[in-house]
Amino acid sequence: MNIKRKLLAGLMAACVTAGLGTGLTACGSGGSDGSVNLTFQIWDVAQRDGMQAMCDAYTAEHPNVHIEVQVTSWDEYWTKLEAAAMSNQMPDIFWMHTNEILKYADNGKLADCSDIVETEHFSDISLANASGSDGNLYAVPKDKDTVGLVYNKEMFDEAGVAYPDETWTWDDLVDASQKIYDATGKYGYMAYGDDQLGYWNFVYQAGGSILTEDKTRGNFLDPATKKGMEFYIGLQSYDWCPDQNYFAETAPGTAFFSEKGAMFLEGDWNILSELQNYPDMVGKWDVAVLPACPDPLSGDGRATISNGLSYATSAKNKHLDIVKDVLKFFGSEEGQRIQGESGAAIPAYEGLEETWVGVFDEYPINVQPFIDMFDYCIQSVNNAARPEWKSEVSDTLLKIYTGELDLDSGLQAMQDAVDEASAEYYE
Amino acid sequence: MQKTSKLARDGAVWGLLMVAPTIIGLLVLNIWPFIDTIRMSFSKSKPFGMFEFEGIDNYVEMFQNTEFWKATWNTILFCILTVPVGIFLALLVAVLLNSKIRGRTTFRAIFFLPMVVAPAAVAMVWKWIFNSQYGIINSVLGANIGWLTNPSIVLFTCAIVQIWSNIGYDAVLLLAGLQNVSATLYEAADLDGASKVKQFFSITLPMVSPTLFVVMIMRLMSSLKVFDLIYMMVDEANPALNDAQSLMSLFYRESFVAGDKGYASAIVVWTVLLIGVVTIIQFVGQKKWVNYEV
Amino acid sequence: MNTSMKSSKRLSTTLTYIVLILGSVLMIFPFVWMILTSFKTQAESMAIPPQIFPSTWQISNFSTALASLPFVNLYVNTGLLIVFRVLCAVLFSSMAGYAFAKLQFPCKNLLFGIVLVQMMLPSQIFITPQYLMLAHMGLTNTIFALVFPGLVSAFGTFFLRQTYLGIPNEIAEAAYLDGCNKWQTFTKVMFPLTGSSCAALAIFTAVFAYSDLMWPLICNTDLNKMTLSAGLSTLNGQYTTNFPVLMAGSLLAMIPMVILYLIFQKQFIQGIAMTGGK
Repeated sequence: MNIKRKLLAGLMAACVTAGLGTGLTACGSGGSDGSVNLTFQIWDVAQRDGMQAMCDAYTAEHPNVHIEVQVTSWDEYWTKLEAAAMSNQMPDIFWMHTNEILKYADNGKLADCSDIVETEHFSDISLANASGSDGNLYAVPKDKDTVGLVYNKEMFDEAGVAYPDETWTWDDLVDASQKIYDATGKYGYMAYGDDQLGYWNFVYQAGGSILTEDKTRGNFLDPATKKGMEFYIGLQSYDWCPDQNYFAETAPGTAFFSEKGAMFLEGDWNILSELQNYPDMVGKWDVAVLPACPDPLSGDGRATISNGLSYATSAKNKHLDIVKDVLKFFGSEEGQRIQGESGAAIPAYEGLEETWVGVFDEYPINVQPFIDMFDYCIQSVNNAARPEWKSEVSDTLLKIYTGELDLDSGLQAMQDAVDEASAEYYE
Repeated sequence: MQKTSKLARDGAVWGLLMVAPTIIGLLVLNIWPFIDTIRMSFSKSKPFGMFEFEGIDNYVEMFQNTEFWKATWNTILFCILTVPVGIFLALLVAVLLNSKIRGRTTFRAIFFLPMVVAPAAVAMVWKWIFNSQYGIINSVLGANIGWLTNPSIVLFTCAIVQIWSNIGYDAVLLLAGLQNVSATLYEAADLDGASKVKQFFSITLPMVSPTLFVVMIMRLMSSLKVFDLIYMMVDEANPALNDAQSLMSLFYRESFVAGDKGYASAIVVWTVLLIGVVTIIQFVGQKKWVNYEV
Repeated sequence: MNTSMKSSKRLSTTLTYIVLILGSVLMIFPFVWMILTSFKTQAESMAIPPQIFPSTWQISNFSTALASLPFVNLYVNTGLLIVFRVLCAVLFSSMAGYAFAKLQFPCKNLLFGIVLVQMMLPSQIFITPQYLMLAHMGLTNTIFALVFPGLVSAFGTFFLRQTYLGIPNEIAEAAYLDGCNKWQTFTKVMFPLTGSSCAALAIFTAVFAYSDLMWPLICNTDLNKMTLSAGLSTLNGQYTTNFPVLMAGSLLAMIPMVILYLIFQKQFIQGIAMTGGK
């Protein structure tokens, strides 16, 4: 009996001291000697070294500041950040994604960064990706990306088809796919029903759009939007294209690097790790700009979706001045150059794209098409209601693919989903 | 007379003292968040924990939603598919592992393994096994069955994986129950010439029934709350998603993807009610088959 | 008679082996797959159709895993987490389980209802409220934060209640007659009888604590205060997962669990001897 009691008492005491002891040290973000410890939260382990290099460059000149880079996997990142925001315990610096920024910015969780961003050095799209619904900057642009066409050179050679280039249109995509399928038995273009890495690109190439220009309503009923969707969904009926059941089990990238198919859409952010992870494939594949729509209802038929991350801090940060100074450095030419040279991502800072391209010098691949596409890129689709309509739209798309809905009623359903969700935000 | 009342008072005091840590812990850690969930289910949620009362709108919306009813049916079906078979197999394994055979320790360790294997490894292996194009099952059968993509099969596939992953857990618990059965009972039965099968029904089953009951309750509850497994096996782009979606998958989607905490809370309340009904039925039913020492 | 009994016994033994061996193959398969994957290259691990054996055995995956995570800290944290959770679960659940099974006190059914209701609740709804409680106490990012949600166990309470219900009342009554009070009866007589159930609960609790991935990632940010499973999950990128390194890391993470199991396994065997019963 005594032992049990002692055990219990000891246990509680141990819990409490373990808790308090470490708790105190963890809270001590400001030391007595004027030094400041900052935390910097990111979700991509592949970029940790690049982020650390950037922090090191800052702290070398500001020895009183210490920055710790912490990685949380994507799945937990947003749950954690939201809980932290509710209890005012957000990390000092954290990455922001366009999917989420409006929720945080519009609810006053992010510090206004208008005064520290050198707006003349960033594209309108980069700035828009770091802005709240009110148009103010609530983050510092970090990087930007585009979507390109990745292709298997060997399969093109075998079928005797010329490699894709900037003259390619949708017709060439279909033609080449058919020829490769006939000659090799492999899949041609693998038309995965994704948004950013799939149909969005084709909708904008056809001259359509997902949202109206003011982003307050859907635009699925627009004839040009319908044209893009019809073409993209229609690709699945060709023998050379796997159906969506296939992609549910085998991601297009996996199929491509196991040499099951000749082409798929890929974002620039994955290229470096694909070169590293598939050493046997190096030299067998390359990248091209996306094919153009041959007869767009408006525009020149060219488009690619461009997204971008940004750095943000809490509106209630205790060391706001210091943190904003760090953020300013992250957004400066020097900070962005370090990021680019680490290969982490294409710097958002205009004119530094080549730092990222240079990382690929050692590989037999030409990543320049990703940079070239910035001339006609489209900002990744977003409005404040997107979290609410996102799943519903992708569900509906799957229903069109399986034939449960025809194209017209499917588009109508997508339109309704977007409008209904958006109505609450844009009255 | 005096003695019994003192004994009873003594029991009351000790009883309350002994349940106090657990009850206080549960109230703070679990019941309070649930009361909050109930409150939210009657509210319209705003981001970052803000919400305003709006009555039964969430429930009205929920009951009108076909997706919700589909998810409810999927959840019940999943429970029916996994619980009886899973418990039967776990009991079989536990009884076999409890028999006096060589290599018992090794077998026990092997059946324990799935519990500590990384979930990512589990998902990877099963997804490959069931892959319709390149999977081992279809190659062996020479068939082209969409185990994970055919709307009428996908839930059965998930049920198989669920049963597989739980056998180890359940067998460990049932084994503990079996070990509380005294060996002398079997020796006596052996002398009477009772067959092993007869011994199982006349000795083993009644003696292990209290443990079997707790395992069954737990499995019923956890199968009605299933989420992780389906999340891992059936990804977002799967055309069969709708036919594999459980109530908690729907909750996850509404709460963590769409951010509609109020509606998501209504789904939780519904799920808990469903589990509550099933649990009450079990507690009434147990009187027929669970054997307690009185 | 005798020979037929013998042959039927041999038949049942053979059947037992067949079932157990078949079952073992099914059970061990993902584990073998995990080992094989941990020696593959990333390309081999993702190949379709799957490549079963690595073409060269890559030991580098293990060194990569070791280098990318502070394994010593993670082992210590996971060990502390498991020890505290198991102690709390076994101790508090034994007390409550015994009381619910063998004692009479006011509101007993209501209080037991609370235990059952907890088991009905999906764990996802606790995450944010529990995080907020910790944040109010200023205890996020601590070892205590890891233990916090598992201080008490509803399942353990229910499970041990069932175990105590299976123990004959005469044993307790004999103890009263010997002059033990309720608490002494519990600690000296009843609790020792539940050895194998407590061991099972310990294994159960330990495995749950070990595999809980979401909570450590939410409550703690510092990698040095994570558990093994949570630390491993940070090896996943947003877009890519390096399966070989992940599997190598998971294998390293399993070592303490296997040791722990072997320890409790012994306790299991002893459990038989201790429960005399009737």
